[in-house]
Amino acid sequence: MATVTFEKAERRYPGAPTAAVRGIDLTIEDGEFMVLVGPSGCGKSTTLRMLAGLEEVTSGRILIGDRDVTNAPPRDRDIAMVFQSYALYPHMSVFENMEYSLKIAKVSKEERERRVKAAAALLGLADYLDRKPKALSGGQRQRVAMGRAIVREPQVFCMDEPLSNLDAKMRVQTRTDIAKLQADLGATTVYVTHDQVEAMTMGDRVAVMNEGELQQVAAPMELYRRPANLFVAGFIGSPQMNLLPATVTGGSVRLGEYALPLTAPALAKLPRDLTVGLRPEAFQVVPDGGLLLDVVVVEHLGSDSYAHGTVTLGDGTAGEGTLGEGTRNLVVRVPSRQEVAKGDRLRVAVDGGDIHLFDTVTGLRLDV
Amino acid sequence: MRTSRARTVALAAGAYLVAIVFLLPYVEMVITAGRTKSELLDANYFPKHFTFSNFTSLWSADGLGGNIWVSLRVAGGATLLALLVAIPAGYYTARHRFRGRTAFLLVVLATQMFQPAAMLVGLQREFVNFNLPSATVSLIIVNAGFNLAFAIWILNAFFSSIPVELEEAAQVDGLSRIGALVRITLPLAAPGIVTALIFTFITAWNEFLVALTLSLGSPPGDRPLTVAIDGYVGQYSTDWGHLFAGGLVATVPVIILFALIERRVVTGLTAGAVK
Ligand SMILES: Nc1ncnc2c1ncn2[C@@H]1O[C@H](COP(=O)(O)OP(=O)(O)OP(=O)(O)O)[C@@H](O)[C@H]1O
Ligand SMILES: [Mg+2]
Repeated sequence: MATVTFEKAERRYPGAPTAAVRGIDLTIEDGEFMVLVGPSGCGKSTTLRMLAGLEEVTSGRILIGDRDVTNAPPRDRDIAMVFQSYALYPHMSVFENMEYSLKIAKVSKEERERRVKAAAALLGLADYLDRKPKALSGGQRQRVAMGRAIVREPQVFCMDEPLSNLDAKMRVQTRTDIAKLQADLGATTVYVTHDQVEAMTMGDRVAVMNEGELQQVAAPMELYRRPANLFVAGFIGSPQMNLLPATVTGGSVRLGEYALPLTAPALAKLPRDLTVGLRPEAFQVVPDGGLLLDVVVVEHLGSDSYAHGTVTLGDGTAGEGTLGEGTRNLVVRVPSRQEVAKGDRLRVAVDGGDIHLFDTVTGLRLDV
Repeated sequence: MRTSRARTVALAAGAYLVAIVFLLPYVEMVITAGRTKSELLDANYFPKHFTFSNFTSLWSADGLGGNIWVSLRVAGGATLLALLVAIPAGYYTARHRFRGRTAFLLVVLATQMFQPAAMLVGLQREFVNFNLPSATVSLIIVNAGFNLAFAIWILNAFFSSIPVELEEAAQVDGLSRIGALVRITLPLAAPGIVTALIFTFITAWNEFLVALTLSLGSPPGDRPLTVAIDGYVGQYSTDWGHLFAGGLVATVPVIILFALIERRVVTGLTAGAVK
């Protein structure tokens, strides 16, 4: 087992105007489960492939333990990788697939058999060892790919969206299986996904990426509670955090007429262009005051409901899309015992929930 | 049910009929090869006496043995040369998007569009001027060139269908780049390689026009089989018995190879199961 360190690691594809991964600094602890998450095309796979040695590092360094592997070929890095497409050798049986790396490493036949059998038992593959990958279901193939990685007993596991080819139910099941397996093995793991729920549920820490840059690296709850910038605030959490333009007047931060319950001595230091971030659960339905929400859609999830609607802030700014001037989308969580229907008007106010402030220009979090 | 059954029977009957039309010349070849000289021109399908003398005398002093060996060397050499060039070319064009890639593949294809006959004179002059050691070597080069386009294209298609991730997985599993190519990708491309191999071999084996032109100066025993068989057709008389017996002998490797190709390609495709 080992740590993994990216030092200003950069990858520029030949002919591309900008780097796909821009000078990333990241340290992954020994035994840590690190999730790389971000929207499509942000450079997650490229980062992982740089670590695996499948992608050239244009500048900077990558270390596994204290060994500089920047220019080492994949086979000298002592890593294992689970590919999105699983990349099982189609002409080999499950057993041969799992055994292959050990065979190359000239591990004895008995030892190979022992390790493959152990991994197969762990993954519930014992009955399929003689089959070809073609004759397996998607979930089984996924487990073979995991097994192929496990038998190596590598220093680092690399996984690139290993669950994206599974159906929703299998995904949830396998998610916990992988997390448990990783905890049992205690192997340093770098896991790539574009699904923030996966990231939040599996990772010890999560690295959020956008446009080739790291946005924030933190434990899941920390990301949720204290997003470092507007991108992370909008990316983490489902439904999304509401991000609304605010003004600072009369000693308080206001959304239109509504003054947020913020008692901060440093209000004077706030910049003029302010964005307020409020999660749907930060709101309560109140008898008077607050914001007036015109409910457009109600999403019932059982224990809670999410009321999607619009509010008019009258702030003189144009809303997105077809919304009129000063009109914004807002999502609010309401307990399901509270009857809400499409077309209702609700008064909602922030009561005790977290209020996040961001500088609209720089996008950075403001701590008051 | 009834109608579909009738349909099946009709289809099968039709297929057999077509097959017979195509097989008849071969039957004729076999039968004529076994006729004695006296019965040669009889208008019957089954000769009264069947003789193997045409076959046995094929191997006599200046018989076809040497010619078969020449043809084997030409076809085998051309196949080897074509594959040695086509495997790397097919692999590289499948794996890399480089400037001029499409143009390269189209130029390769264009070489296939020339009638060999149109190039005969040019080829003849070229090889005379280059002073190549023998007709065999010249024919190996020409036949390899003729079949390169097909080989590159089919191998390009096969390599393209093998996911790069397999090679990457193999590298992570401990192989070098070349190792991954040789031990994972090539076996998976085997059906394509075998197809290119057999196609090239058969085309080179059957090639006549260039063989005739380039081996004009060679002694009869050093000419390819197709040219040698043609030699039984004289200006004043034709040795039908030997002509057909030689034709039959020349067909055998082709048939064996086709039997192989079918097996190899079918098992290769199912085992390869490239996703
Ligand atoms: N071989 C390549 N050549 C040129 N550009 C590439 C290549 N591979 C990826 N890119 C570019 O690099 C950027 C990052 O790609 P990458 O595959 O790392 O994204 P990703 O975060 O994994 O996205 P996804 O979630 O869609 O898999 C993208 O803009 C992509 O277009
Ligand atoms: Mg990706």
